[in-house]
Amino acid sequence: MNVITTSNLSKVYDEGPVPVYAVNGVDLEIKKGEFTAIVGPSGSGKTTLLNIIGGLDKASSGGVKIGSTEIENLSANELIDFRLRNIGFVFQSYNLIPVLTAKENTEFIMLLQNTPKAERDKRVESLLAEVGLEDRMNNRPTELSGGQQQRVAVARALASKPQFILADEPTANLDSKSTANLLDIMLKLNKEEDTTFVFSTHDQRVIDRARRIITLEDGKIISDEKQHVQ
Amino acid sequence: MKLLIKIAWRNIWRNKVRSFVVITAIALGLWAGVFVTAFVQGMMTAKIQSIIEVEVAHLQYHQKEFRDDLKVNLTIPSSAEKLNELEQDERVTAAAGRLVSMAMIGSANKSGSIRVVGINPSKEALVSSLSTQLVDGAYFEGIKRNPVLISERLAEKYKIKVRSKLVLTLQDRDGEITAGAFRVVGLYKTDNNMYDNFNVFVREQDMRKLIKVEEDYHEIAAMLTHQDLAETVASDFQKKYENLEILPWLDLAAGMRIMNEVIGLYLYIIVGIVLLALLFSIVNTMLMAVLERVKELGMLMSIGMNKTRIFGMIMIETIFMCMLGAPLGLLISWGMITYFGEHGINLSGASYEDVGFASTIFPYLENQSYIEVTGMVLIMALLAAIYPALKALRLNPATAIRKI
Repeated sequence: MNVITTSNLSKVYDEGPVPVYAVNGVDLEIKKGEFTAIVGPSGSGKTTLLNIIGGLDKASSGGVKIGSTEIENLSANELIDFRLRNIGFVFQSYNLIPVLTAKENTEFIMLLQNTPKAERDKRVESLLAEVGLEDRMNNRPTELSGGQQQRVAVARALASKPQFILADEPTANLDSKSTANLLDIMLKLNKEEDTTFVFSTHDQRVIDRARRIITLEDGKIISDEKQHVQ
Repeated sequence: MKLLIKIAWRNIWRNKVRSFVVITAIALGLWAGVFVTAFVQGMMTAKIQSIIEVEVAHLQYHQKEFRDDLKVNLTIPSSAEKLNELEQDERVTAAAGRLVSMAMIGSANKSGSIRVVGINPSKEALVSSLSTQLVDGAYFEGIKRNPVLISERLAEKYKIKVRSKLVLTLQDRDGEITAGAFRVVGLYKTDNNMYDNFNVFVREQDMRKLIKVEEDYHEIAAMLTHQDLAETVASDFQKKYENLEILPWLDLAAGMRIMNEVIGLYLYIIVGIVLLALLFSIVNTMLMAVLERVKELGMLMSIGMNKTRIFGMIMIETIFMCMLGAPLGLLISWGMITYFGEHGINLSGASYEDVGFASTIFPYLENQSYIEVTGMVLIMALLAAIYPALKALRLNPATAIRKI
């Protein structure tokens, strides 16, 4: 079953004299449990594609289907609610809420979803344990390293029990050790809980461990390959 | 809601200096609004009190046209009956008759025009505070023949003092010029220099001899149980005595009714200006708070925080700052009003007395006004937060998330 389906997806910026295609006729199918890297040079359209799939940006033409929902038909408020319940986001620069602790950041999404307290507490503890931060639950983001903050971001993204997680350059600001650590966690979640990950990257360390690699150039898919990873 | 409250509360302490600026602006705005209101109310209360207690009492009877040129023969018919009738009315606490005439005052050095008021000293003491305004001499005691009470200012102007002689020249009811020698029994001083420069007081029986008015009065003044009754009581008696002019204090003191109405409007304008300054201060600071957090707001929208919650979070932040600033402003205002309400603010250099206001202002504010001004400040603060909150809602999450 496809979690994400895009059909002839395009995004055109036609503010200048010549229209610029950030995304150009992308047809894509991502199934549940895939661990997919979207790669390509800067300006190839990786982030724009992720933004459209995540409902943060509108396509100029074509459509995006998440599960059975065509998201271009949703109103702005419906889209926010859809994102809350179906998509987990991990951003390049962590983007945690600075005034909340690791525990509160992870709990945040579930509070927006009105999840009962007992369930929240249980899930927060289990998620932070999974990302190896059970002993840093009460620390605020400024008291955590970059790698630790990104692990909290992964825990937060998982907290809403999304259909998939979109990660935009999740390792761009991390050192090698933190990158390896984060990838271990993401792969473990993918393997053990069948969590679908789609991330943009041009980090070779990430590309080496992805199971499917989609390469973009000038907004077009130029290759879509599967690789076997131990 | 609990979540929004938690985030909003912590957000206001992220930038302590900025929050301190907003909290201080709210406190100062509230203080300025409340204190200006209290100052003007104190000034007006003193003015009204002075007008009622010193100048006109709560209401007065006159013959129609008497007040235009103070003609000696325009006395109130059956004055004694009318006085008695007033004293019987349960809304009236005291009433007294007066003779009033224009006159020339002459001392050894100088002469000039004044108004002579003939009074029954003991009855007058019940309708005016003249007897308590003395700065020298006594209230019609110690001089048996033709005592006169003049103001301290008049005494300085005519270079006379207690027990000095002066001559009052008046017109009697036949139109003949008549004069009498009087001796200064005491000096009074009120908050109104114009009043002090213009009024001298003699005993009723001494004046009657001079102007040949054997009975009746030119003016009957009455004090009521409460100043708010003045219009009703005056209107009731006016209906009964259509040939007389019976007016409440608001119409007796020149310009008082207009001043009383306009001062409230001016007060709202002044408080409005203060609040407008406050509004721009809060808009500016909250806008900074929003623009500083564009990326974070973009992230919140991306992960599913809806617009109502974003709007609510910004508004709650402003409410929190109001809840800190408003009590602070109220506390400072209350402290200053209590202190200056007791000790007064001395503005004797500002010539307030020349225009009929007390030179020492005792700020005063009714509880109702505290609530009104606080309400206005809170509403203003919330209005000020709407624009920055709407600005936050207009952010595009995809663009906002990439802001550095």
